[in-house]
Amino acid sequence: MQKEIGIVAYKCRKCSKLHYPYHDRCLACKSREFEQVKPEGKARVLTFTRIYNLPWGFDQRYLTIGVVEFENGVRAMGQINVDEQFDLKTGMMMKPTWAPVREQYGEHVYGLVLESFG
Amino acid sequence: MRDVAIIGVGMIQFGRRDEDSLMDMLANASLKALDDAGLGDKSVDAVVVGNMGSGIIQHQTAVASSLVDRLSLLPAAAETVENGPASGGSAVKNGLLAVASGYYDTVLVVGGEKMREVTGWRATDFVATMTHPLAEYIYGVTLPGMAGMFARLYMEKYGITREMLVAVAIKNQEMGGHNPFAHVEMAITKEGIYDDPASIVNNPVVADPLHLYDACPVSDGAAALILCPLEKIKNPTKPPVVIAGFGQATDTQTLQEREDPTDLKAVTLAAQKAFEMAKLKPSDIHVAELHDAFTILEIAESEHVGFFKKGEGGKAALAGKTKLGGQIPINVSGGLKARGHPVGATGVAQVVDIVYQLRHELSKDRQVKNAQNGLTVNFGGFGNNVLAFVLRRV
Repeated sequence: MQKEIGIVAYKCRKCSKLHYPYHDRCLACKSREFEQVKPEGKARVLTFTRIYNLPWGFDQRYLTIGVVEFENGVRAMGQINVDEQFDLKTGMMMKPTWAPVREQYGEHVYGLVLESFG
Repeated sequence: MRDVAIIGVGMIQFGRRDEDSLMDMLANASLKALDDAGLGDKSVDAVVVGNMGSGIIQHQTAVASSLVDRLSLLPAAAETVENGPASGGSAVKNGLLAVASGYYDTVLVVGGEKMREVTGWRATDFVATMTHPLAEYIYGVTLPGMAGMFARLYMEKYGITREMLVAVAIKNQEMGGHNPFAHVEMAITKEGIYDDPASIVNNPVVADPLHLYDACPVSDGAAALILCPLEKIKNPTKPPVVIAGFGQATDTQTLQEREDPTDLKAVTLAAQKAFEMAKLKPSDIHVAELHDAFTILEIAESEHVGFFKKGEGGKAALAGKTKLGGQIPINVSGGLKARGHPVGATGVAQVVDIVYQLRHELSKDRQVKNAQNGLTVNFGGFGNNVLAFVLRRV
């Protein structure tokens, strides 16, 4: 069974500005009242990069990382699970999943992983 | 507020310094600055150390307390300032405000970092700890990765080409070859890194669209300066340089929360504040040290501080307008790209390099003729904490 996307965004109750990650006060109006919002729909790639010099903890040749925007406006960073031959482009729609993104102390850490539709 | 002058500067060569501990480097740069200021056997009121990673890399904290002891500066006040890659700039700011306020008369500011003590994996991870722990770090994003995502957007929006990025790399590495303190002293040519088959090997992608020669090296190094009130300087042996303007601004921690992620608002605001305080404008600046951790940043910052209109910085670099002898010489020290980027040292080193320029002490292959005013930009995080200083020769 597919895991639910574990991201919670915060919509300001006063001015409707959407935040992710969490802030104690709204970045626009400084209000402290937020409504929790789950990301919805597909994710559009806003930007991405393929990193070849990886940090400690990643035993692989490269990692593709991007910032995406969900259909309800939530923006988040995630790993993009496509191979080097895949012609990734900004604006492309991806399928969001919640999957292991790294291992720490022998346990999986889950996060946003974007998959291609085709 | 008192006018604050820089009366002494010192720097050691950046690079891989296996023979030196972090404390050796901080002490050596400090001694050079004390000697330059004529305070070789004197004390100072306070010491501010800019350092980002000694607690992580060297497993050593409170380095300022250790430094004053080693330098026999007791009982001077001492503290370490950590502000990511802007730690050096923040240390300069803290020294500046302490002297300007009238509380202290002489302050030693030193920035240093020893990053080559650990593997590249560990160093990359250490720098990435400044990203958001849950929204960014867990994904394995690195600072080159952040720069790659920024570069993609900036290049798409403003038509920046790889040729323009390469022009910055060539310029800065050429200048590094003239700088005795630079980590990278090897000049490069367009052939071999840009448009021939060998470039795939010589200049591989590190975080696309950025390649190896778009990135600064991981360095060890330290730089120091001495601040005092301008009014207290009697019979100077070297032309005093004042910090005429200073500005600092912050932005969202994550790139994704910026309305326009190509807009480096903190750079613009920090520079505007520094210009306002100095009562100068971008066209009054004769030489600048911008935070070119990646070539795209030199281009973007040259626009955000007001040297060029948005979208014109890349063309200016390609046309040679930012070279020595050009409209506005940028990073004639070699910048982070060639001088190197020991993170805590960089903000101090930028100011030290501008002091050399404004004193007209450099060899002709690096000296900007008759330079009177200089600008530095120290860029922390991925543009979420930026400091700018305007320096003026008195």
